[in-house]
Amino acid sequence: MEFAQEQAGEVAVVKLAGRLDSGAAQLAEESFTRMLGSGTPHLAIDMSQLAYISSAGLRVLLVVAKKVQQAKGKMVLFGLVPNVREVFAVSGFDKIFAIQSDAAAAVAAAR
Amino acid sequence: MLGFVEEIVLLQLDDSQGKFVNLPLSAADVVLAGAALMELALDNRIDSDLEQLILVDPKPTGDDILDDVLKQLVETGGELGAAAVLERISVNGEKYQEMALKHLLAKGILREENGRFLWVFHTRRYPVVDDSEQREVRARLRQLVLTDEIPDPRDVVLICLIDACGLLGLVLSPDEITETKTRVEQLSQLDLIGQAVTKAVAEIRFIVRHATSAIY
Repeated sequence: MEFAQEQAGEVAVVKLAGRLDSGAAQLAEESFTRMLGSGTPHLAIDMSQLAYISSAGLRVLLVVAKKVQQAKGKMVLFGLVPNVREVFAVSGFDKIFAIQSDAAAAVAAAR
Repeated sequence: MLGFVEEIVLLQLDDSQGKFVNLPLSAADVVLAGAALMELALDNRIDSDLEQLILVDPKPTGDDILDDVLKQLVETGGELGAAAVLERISVNGEKYQEMALKHLLAKGILREENGRFLWVFHTRRYPVVDDSEQREVRARLRQLVLTDEIPDPRDVVLICLIDACGLLGLVLSPDEITETKTRVEQLSQLDLIGQAVTKAVAEIRFIVRHATSAIY
């Protein structure tokens, strides 16, 4: 899995690529935790290159979202590919996360 | 911290009487098997998606219940869906309950007294020595269900297991159970193995209900 970050004003845009599963979960969580250590978190997460997500991957996003909520920040996802969207729908994650269709809408919503 | 199997055994215990709450045996077995599987998932020993449950790391954990489950997962070859794995593991539900009780006794949370009901059956009673563990879990889960708080993955599992056992009454009032039905369903859905547990228990309850109504 690849984890890349860039800034769009006060919003950090995180790009996840590849597979977010048990093999990548620890690295992803550590990367998010490092990032969240610097200031109030406003995150837009680009999922357009994330081809697969397992339960372990979902848990990482849940843990990050909880930390963001506790820090009174915002976290918005965008660009979910169809099979990842299906996992979100079946697990109900699409009801607890804010999801936007593109980067501009996600960055605006994460401010 | 208690493991899920221990937590659910503790919550199933009616501490006013030292007896277990009534649940169809096979449903209790499914819940305990689900608890063990979800513990392994949170320990990153197994993973799952919409199709299968994947064995990630079969190394022993040092917990006799979890290691027994891992051993069985190795035997399955790791190609089954969560529901099929749950069915296999739940065969050992009663054994896992006994093992969990031993853990709770060893940890000083429960003490054992030999007791006898009024009728012939001889049983053992497990009065709670220290109920702080139970109270802590209940307070945390109430907060989660009664607010829009984003859940911790461990609490998702506990809500799912408690709901599957029909034990929400231990943490919520009857009115709160009605008011938070949607929220509890939403939380229970978040764990894919938990979904398999909920579905299996609902099927068992359906079968028991219809078998009973057919008799009477």
